[in-house]
Amino acid sequence: MTELLQKIVKKSPWIYRINAGSCNGCDVEMATTALIPRYDVERLGCKYCGSPKHADIVLISGPVTAVVKDKVLRVYDEIPNPKVVVAVGICPISGGVFRDSYAVAGQLDSYIPVDVNVPGCPPRPQAIIDGIAMAIEIWKKKF
Amino acid sequence: MNIMTLLMDILIFPGGLFAIALGLLLTGLDRKLYARLQRRVGPPIYQPCIDLIKLSQKETLIPRTANITAFRFAPLLGFAGMLAAIAIIPITGIYSGLYQSADLLVLLYLLSMPALSLVIGASASGSPYSSVGLSREITMVLAYEIPLLIVFLTVGMRVGMSTGATAVFSLSSIVNYQLQNGALLFDLVMLPAFFAFLCCIPGTIGVVPFDIPEAETEIAEGTLLEYSGVGLAMFKLTGGLKMLVLSALTVALFFPSGLGSFWLINLLWFIFKCIVICTVTITVVRATTARMRLDQAYKFYLLIPTAMALISLFLTLFSVRV
Repeated sequence: MTELLQKIVKKSPWIYRINAGSCNGCDVEMATTALIPRYDVERLGCKYCGSPKHADIVLISGPVTAVVKDKVLRVYDEIPNPKVVVAVGICPISGGVFRDSYAVAGQLDSYIPVDVNVPGCPPRPQAIIDGIAMAIEIWKKKF
Repeated sequence: MNIMTLLMDILIFPGGLFAIALGLLLTGLDRKLYARLQRRVGPPIYQPCIDLIKLSQKETLIPRTANITAFRFAPLLGFAGMLAAIAIIPITGIYSGLYQSADLLVLLYLLSMPALSLVIGASASGSPYSSVGLSREITMVLAYEIPLLIVFLTVGMRVGMSTGATAVFSLSSIVNYQLQNGALLFDLVMLPAFFAFLCCIPGTIGVVPFDIPEAETEIAEGTLLEYSGVGLAMFKLTGGLKMLVLSALTVALFFPSGLGSFWLINLLWFIFKCIVICTVTITVVRATTARMRLDQAYKFYLLIPTAMALISLFLTLFSVRV
């Protein structure tokens, strides 16, 4: 029964983007290249949603700057379980080019549990879609 | 009225299970066709069912500033209103409306229930984005209800004046009149009213260019912002039912003729007509336009559909036969 539920549910993941102080490179990739009608992730059921309360997969980009850290945690709490976190770009993983900056508050891993890392600066659209496909597999097991 | 037939009409056919299935089919076809119009593959037709199953398995988060009773209760209002509305509309050859005096005016009130449930839900959410969304929703309701009311009045008077009374609002009588005297669609006097009614449909359902209350990119989904889990699933389901109610109403008011007397053929013909109406007024419009500003949408509704409906109304009042 759970397996049937998982097979059904994995066909409808809804995506929400959080920009945690990113330079917008990865955001441009996510919003205008990887998940747009050209590569058609809608055939997998993916859809961008405007509200975190509707989301299943969270894409977080950017090094977690000190100013935005609380806000990211608050928005992360707004997302209903079961959810899965994808860190897009090298910045949430290690800080990227901003690594030793005074404004960066640390890795994303130390604040929220990250399920999939997609390194790259910015990652290729195909890599982002691959990361989302991996995230769907992890997500469906949480039901 | 037998209680068993009442329950069957509202819960199984044509309300309830049949309406939910057909509403989800219309929503799925809309998404598939929209994708095809953009030269991509798109989700499978049963995607809305999967969305609803997934949403029912997510947890429901209620904001701290929310009014809990109204928040939980709001999605059910619109859903119940749409189920009752479907049970009132006659389907030629199969079903003759819940009561013989089933009224167009009752349907007008029921059609505003989903908008009302969105407004109650948004104001019970206690979020500033929701309050912006709900004020936009109320403005849109005010805008599209005016031509809708004039079209209903025109149809009622057209049927009434032809049969001796002044105005007839009973849906069964309107359908019977058209089965005897030819569909109102082919009546040239009613053609402007038909276009006005088609203009009201995207506004009522809330698709681009009139999806201002739910503007994702501007106010983070507006009215539905704080809903998750089963409440959100109810709202999406009500949206699908609204598509069905409006297309069934268009069919009943303007071209209700059946095809022969076998019930299956009449049913398929009715479903085909609903699909055609939804395609023309919702999908094609959604794929070819962008979202309007609130004042542009308001001005549009107060000018063009109202003017067309008024033309039909005055021609009907002076009993013009073309």
